[in-house]
Amino acid sequence: MARRMPLLFLVCISASSLYAQDLAGIEIHGFVTQGFLFSSNNNYLTMKSSDGSVQWTDGAVSVSDSLTDKLRVGIQLHMYQLGDLGGSNVLIDWASGDYRFNDHFGIRAGKVKTPLGLFNDSQDVDAVFLWILLPQGAYPIDNKSFYLSHLGGEVYGDLTLGRRAGKLQYRGYAGYNNLDLNGGYLEQSAEYGLVFTSPPGGKTYGGDLRWDTPLRGLTIGSSADVLAVDGTAPGGSVHAPPFLISAQYAQFTKGKFYFAGEYHRDPFYAILTVGPAAIPLSYDERSWFAMGSYRLLKKFQVGSYYSHYVNKALDTTQPANYSKDWVISGRYDFNPYFYGKIEGHFLHGTGLGYYTDTNPNGLKPNSSMLAAKIGFSF
Amino acid sequence: MSKTRWLVLLAGFLGCWSAASAQDVVLIANKGVQISEIKDADLHAIFMGEKTRFADGSHAVPVTLKGGAVHEVFLKNHLGESPGDFRAQWRKAVFTGQGAMPRAFDSESALIEYVAATPGALGYVSRISPHDNVKSLAAIK
Repeated sequence: MARRMPLLFLVCISASSLYAQDLAGIEIHGFVTQGFLFSSNNNYLTMKSSDGSVQWTDGAVSVSDSLTDKLRVGIQLHMYQLGDLGGSNVLIDWASGDYRFNDHFGIRAGKVKTPLGLFNDSQDVDAVFLWILLPQGAYPIDNKSFYLSHLGGEVYGDLTLGRRAGKLQYRGYAGYNNLDLNGGYLEQSAEYGLVFTSPPGGKTYGGDLRWDTPLRGLTIGSSADVLAVDGTAPGGSVHAPPFLISAQYAQFTKGKFYFAGEYHRDPFYAILTVGPAAIPLSYDERSWFAMGSYRLLKKFQVGSYYSHYVNKALDTTQPANYSKDWVISGRYDFNPYFYGKIEGHFLHGTGLGYYTDTNPNGLKPNSSMLAAKIGFSF
Repeated sequence: MSKTRWLVLLAGFLGCWSAASAQDVVLIANKGVQISEIKDADLHAIFMGEKTRFADGSHAVPVTLKGGAVHEVFLKNHLGESPGDFRAQWRKAVFTGQGAMPRAFDSESALIEYVAATPGALGYVSRISPHDNVKSLAAIK
């Protein structure tokens, strides 16, 4: 933390000179956020949150340039610390060349964001959300860097269907994806005694289709993402054959109101081999959420959501196999660049976000949490 | 009527006139842009990065003001967006690698100067700002 505070301070005091630099067409943007989490009972997301924890920092810088009317290149570097996850490693969030033939068809290649549901590709951009934590059943923050982007390419575009039929937006992609060495899944495998030195990964492909309906503000969509994971560690291996994650969603915006809902299904099977032991992991994860928000004042927004997650492959009456979260949130924008958020969570079940290392005495089934965050974006 | 009362009335009138005029937004474009009118739906698509071309197929370069009453009136009346939502949508595009934010200007004069010098540029200013060196576009609902 001592290492990160000077960075945060430097960025904040330099705000006046950092406003979205544009050097002869080169655009530079960035954000930095600092979070705080306090929880009753259990420690959440590898933080010592029951004592109150500020081990929650995010920062990114993006540089992009439009080389021609149709060609744009860019890169975004990202660093995060979430309890024991993340760390000082700088990750490439995305780095791509984007050629837009016309408004109906374009291609991106490089490391590109993965569309899945309403928020997957933007889940690390805290500045655009009211929420501090997105619904964890669909967007688990401890594993966001795994789902966020992939190496490969995508095609994208818009198709106008006419005044009475709205517009379709499509994205299709294929490539390679790997787990984050400092992310949640490999933190869990380390708890089994399997420590990877190179990240397991596999092929991925999928797409997203969303319909901006003729009813202004109403969008309906569906996504699919096929993933596979294989990797070898000094003491064993992991193998997950291709599995399909699917999402169906809708959102509606009208004036100061925003509503959204989404359903996710993620059935997969994996085998962890640790020495002579083969540990089967079976999941049939189903999650959904419903959320709503209202802008009370120009600078002040409030909202609430309910997030529901169960692992149907196991006994769903056990708290370890479900997670049900009621959330209330508030956000205040001090100016176009600085904002603050506060959020309350009433969490039932321990199916998501808990780790043995930070809860050595076991878990209680319910926990309440208070989260706060300040952010700066330019 | 006393001189003071006249002055108060005059000041009030000028204040109202000035406020109304400042919020009377006119669309402007580079003189090379061939179209003379544009639908609000197309404006929305161009300013939100969903479209990169005018109806005639030529390249569009949207530019904005950084803030203020004219910016807010334009967003509300022509795009149906609040400044916060407009900013959030562009941040999402920028930080996911899906778009480049429109160039934003501190003053109307700087915006007009840029539009005049940049082929395909499209922006907005208050009607009272001198803008002889650019073209005015009619907005169609």
